[in-house]
Amino acid sequence: MLVTWKYRPRKTFIQSLDPRTRLIFFFAVILGLTIPEIWDYRIIFPLFALSLTLYFLARIEWKDVKRVWPYIFVLLFFIVGLNGLLSGRGGPSSVTNLPSPVVFTVPFKIPFTDIGWDVPITISKMWFAITQMLRMLTMAILAIPIPYTMDPNIYGTAFRQLGASDKFSFTMDLAFRFLPTFARDFSITMDAQRARGYEMEKLKGGITSRLRRLAPLIIPVVMQSTVTGEEVVDAMDLRAFGATQRTWVKADLRYGPRDYFMLGLAATIFIGCCVLKWGFGIGEYFVPEFFLNLFS
Amino acid sequence: MPDKPLVIDGLTFKYKTRPELALDNVSLELKQGELLLIAGSSGCGKTTLARCINGLIPRSYRGERSGKVLLHGREVADLQIPEMAQVVGTLLQDPERQIVASNVFNEIAFGPENLGLPRQEIVSRVNQALKRLNLEYLRERETFNLSGGEKQKVALAGVLAMNPSILLLDEPLASLDPASAHEALEVFRSLADEGKTVILVEHRVEDAISAKPDRMLYMEEGKVKYLGGIQSLPKEIDHTKVKLPAPWVVQRVKALDVITEEPPRPRTKEQGEPLVIFEDVSFQYDTDLPFILKDVNLKIYPGDLIAVLGPNGAGKSTLVKHAIGLLKPTRGRILIEGQDTRKMSVAQIAHVLGYVFQSPTHMLYAPTVQEELEFGPKNLEYDPLLIPKFVDESLSTVNLNGFAEYPPLGLSFGQQKRTTIAAVLAMRSKILIMDEPTAGQDFANYTHFMNTLCDVSEDAQSILSANFSATLFITHDLDLAVTYANSVLLFGDKHIVADGTPEDVLKDEELLLNYRVRPTSLLHLNLSLTAKTGRFLPAESLAAYVS
Amino acid sequence: MNNSSAWEFGTRQVVYGAIGAALYGVLSWVTNIFPLPAAGNVTFRPAVAVLIFFGVAYGPWVGLLAGFIGNTLGDALSGWGFYWNWSLGNGLMGLVAGLVMSQIKDFRAQGDIIKAVIYGLVGIAVGMLFASLTEMFVGGIDINTALVGYFVPAFIGNAIVTVVLLPILMIAFAAVASRRGR
Ligand SMILES: Nc1ncnc2c1ncn2[C@@H]1O[C@H](COP(=O)(O)OP(=O)(O)OP(=O)(O)O)[C@@H](O)[C@H]1O
Ligand SMILES: Nc1ncnc2c1ncn2[C@@H]1O[C@H](COP(=O)(O)OP(=O)(O)OP(=O)(O)O)[C@@H](O)[C@H]1O
Ligand SMILES: [Mg+2]
Ligand SMILES: [Mg+2]
Repeated sequence: MLVTWKYRPRKTFIQSLDPRTRLIFFFAVILGLTIPEIWDYRIIFPLFALSLTLYFLARIEWKDVKRVWPYIFVLLFFIVGLNGLLSGRGGPSSVTNLPSPVVFTVPFKIPFTDIGWDVPITISKMWFAITQMLRMLTMAILAIPIPYTMDPNIYGTAFRQLGASDKFSFTMDLAFRFLPTFARDFSITMDAQRARGYEMEKLKGGITSRLRRLAPLIIPVVMQSTVTGEEVVDAMDLRAFGATQRTWVKADLRYGPRDYFMLGLAATIFIGCCVLKWGFGIGEYFVPEFFLNLFS
Repeated sequence: MPDKPLVIDGLTFKYKTRPELALDNVSLELKQGELLLIAGSSGCGKTTLARCINGLIPRSYRGERSGKVLLHGREVADLQIPEMAQVVGTLLQDPERQIVASNVFNEIAFGPENLGLPRQEIVSRVNQALKRLNLEYLRERETFNLSGGEKQKVALAGVLAMNPSILLLDEPLASLDPASAHEALEVFRSLADEGKTVILVEHRVEDAISAKPDRMLYMEEGKVKYLGGIQSLPKEIDHTKVKLPAPWVVQRVKALDVITEEPPRPRTKEQGEPLVIFEDVSFQYDTDLPFILKDVNLKIYPGDLIAVLGPNGAGKSTLVKHAIGLLKPTRGRILIEGQDTRKMSVAQIAHVLGYVFQSPTHMLYAPTVQEELEFGPKNLEYDPLLIPKFVDESLSTVNLNGFAEYPPLGLSFGQQKRTTIAAVLAMRSKILIMDEPTAGQDFANYTHFMNTLCDVSEDAQSILSANFSATLFITHDLDLAVTYANSVLLFGDKHIVADGTPEDVLKDEELLLNYRVRPTSLLHLNLSLTAKTGRFLPAESLAAYVS
Repeated sequence: MNNSSAWEFGTRQVVYGAIGAALYGVLSWVTNIFPLPAAGNVTFRPAVAVLIFFGVAYGPWVGLLAGFIGNTLGDALSGWGFYWNWSLGNGLMGLVAGLVMSQIKDFRAQGDIIKAVIYGLVGIAVGMLFASLTEMFVGGIDINTALVGYFVPAFIGNAIVTVVLLPILMIAFAAVASRRGR
């Protein structure tokens, strides 16, 4: 099992941006949507379109992500479905309790019990589900390309130049350094135990004993890593880590015109969302006329 | 006159957690440009001495230290870390644990970055270091994908970028193939010639000699036993504790009049039904990766004691993983006692074939040695009444009686290694396969267990000979093949280049060199004596044939 | 074995933070790919026990970094993107568990193990509560869904894993540490 970090250099608009710009932009959109709690499709939809455009601009090969998308959709439907089933008072989705015509009902029952209830699906709930999915996709598809399009060697530097401490930034770098090592160690351990007749498929018994049977896989890898750590600490001390403020050789990231453009856009989005919601009261949830009309 | 680079005077150290002294009254002076070899068996205090020199003691390790360690006239304990780091550069045994960055450039720049040097200066130091070691071609590579030898060189470049005047190398050669080890030693020599003071810790004295050390320090139990030149034979050095060149051993054995019995003749190959057959096996890890094995044919018969030799990354481990079914061939097939491995699970194959992985830390997990050894037999669903017997027998085979209740993770490295072998022995497989059984172990330790394991001579009464039909081990140590094998496989260029008795395969020096195996003094001595001996023998036994 | 202050942040914390993160990332990713034993809608992530262990053994900073960076890496490896609130929740799990570090004297002693498990459970409660509640703003769910649909299953799954595996890890570590003796 080789962890291949799926980053590849490409000549794209996205990859020509400063990594800091991309991180800032990503957080501006997430925070713009979540802090002022935007639920108005007229704001969400344009942002969704923007995210989607950026996603396509990243030009990730389909084979790299084809396993991911089904998962994302299952997750979305799961969240939306769960919300429909359980929603009650409090929280943003209580808006779905607004009086609204019931389109159909779904009977729901907890397996092996008599507990169950009917879940009425209203027009309001349906529109909420759509908005919710769009809103979450807007955030998700901004993050999905990051591992494919951002050089793993630059994260530490990027965080450093965003103002994080030497130590935090280097922790990032070091974590990337060890990721493939431990993935390989794990697969060696798996092979070594299989050669001793261990079969993962044969995990039997109750939950506890099944979890216990994982010990032969987990313990060697974890203990090996604690021993490795001691030597790495020595090696770093011997090369003067933490003695003074470090230079980061690669930290000559510069913002170019396109970065300023994206940063401006990020600021506009975040401030815009806040101002619209808190200044003008725009951004609340409502069911648009055309959707209501669909059912009348 | 400027101060000596290193002066150690009456150094004594005891770790806080240990009752005994780790170093006992060590004194030593080094000149600029001198290369010192430090040797001694496992646990004699080599690494502890290194830690005193590079300042980790007393900075990171607690204990009681007395005596002096002066670097260019200044006490180590009083130096600041950045000063320290620019005087002594340390290269540790395992580059895997010393490399801290995911790409080569960053790795070499790491030290200078920590010193807060200006960017221009760092870049030029990185370039110098790369140039000095001829590594420019690696500049943009990921450290993870480097070969063992390349990793070691990159780690060294990272140390050189700090411009230290003293280089401290703690067993830097483990797990390198002989040719790579030799190249590394030549680099160390040339660094000393350029004026650096080099301290090389290595218990394989035989190999280290090719770096032409000026002096040698031999330690036992924390004390200096010998310090001086190495041209004349130092009597103080025990040939059973560290690996010495064969002529030295012979001389020593003769001088001390040690009586050594000739090892019993290895069993001749029992022809008969082969246990394992590789038929035109080809393999690639993935469709877009190159083939690692190509049309490999191999038969393992009862009675075989096979040593597999070959360069780093040739595919030796890949080859043997096929035998146990962890990997299935892309083309061709492998038969274990007549059955195709494609149709068997790894667990089924494990009944016949036991595989000991290189590093014990990859498999030890249980709270006691006893449970660790029961793991395999239980997985294989052996009769619970028989399991304790299997466990006891394999414990005594590897000489770990009395350790049944110990936690394996608390044992020393050598003991752990033997535990893993016992764990596989307890499964009662017919064939034992070991991947570099001696890597990272000291000489005395591994001679002991190789003697036990490979003692499958006709008259041996060990349980091994009763259960085991064949043994195969991968090794970078040519002398193991010379001493213990009755058959040698040379693997390279995706296939088996040579297969035959040690006497046949190993006499072709050119062939060996082509596949990065360097002939050793033991091999040379044996080759010159085959007329008299008729077969290869360990150095001690050769003494009887040398006049 | 480590009597420095729990909140020290030096080379050691950087190294073990990174190692914890890499391990947690890899192990979570592995369990993301091969789903392990599950009961109802509770899926198990045995890696959580490893995270709690790193907190217990190396302190709150290490727990925080290992949880935060590790979860981010695990999600990124699986290709799912970045869920900042879950990463932060995982960081909190490790951080709270790490508060027990200075009280652990002997990793083999029953009393110390129980203490560590309790801190681990509190950590899981705090971390998962944080992540579930913030999901109200991120995912637009309501409090019922947050508690019943997210918090309860996540808490139960992680708690079981920790109760079963943390003691095993601690006992193994006691043996390793005894050999090392630093
Ligand atoms: N960190 C430590 N804490 C306590 N004792 C230690 C520590 N490191 C080493 N020792 C002990 O000090 C003694 C000398 O060990 P040291 O590691 O210096 O030996 P070595 O010659 O380098 O051995 P090897 O060839 O196995 O590397 C041994 O008894 C060892 O168990
Ligand atoms: N899981 C894997 N996926 C892809 N390539 C691999 C994998 N494992 C090994 N390789 C590659 O296969 C080749 C042979 O590796 P292998 O480990 O068999 O060599 P080896 O002869 O045992 O070397 P060494 O002496 O260093 O142990 C190497 O180039 C290695 O990089
Ligand atoms: Mg040592
Ligand atoms: Mg190998």
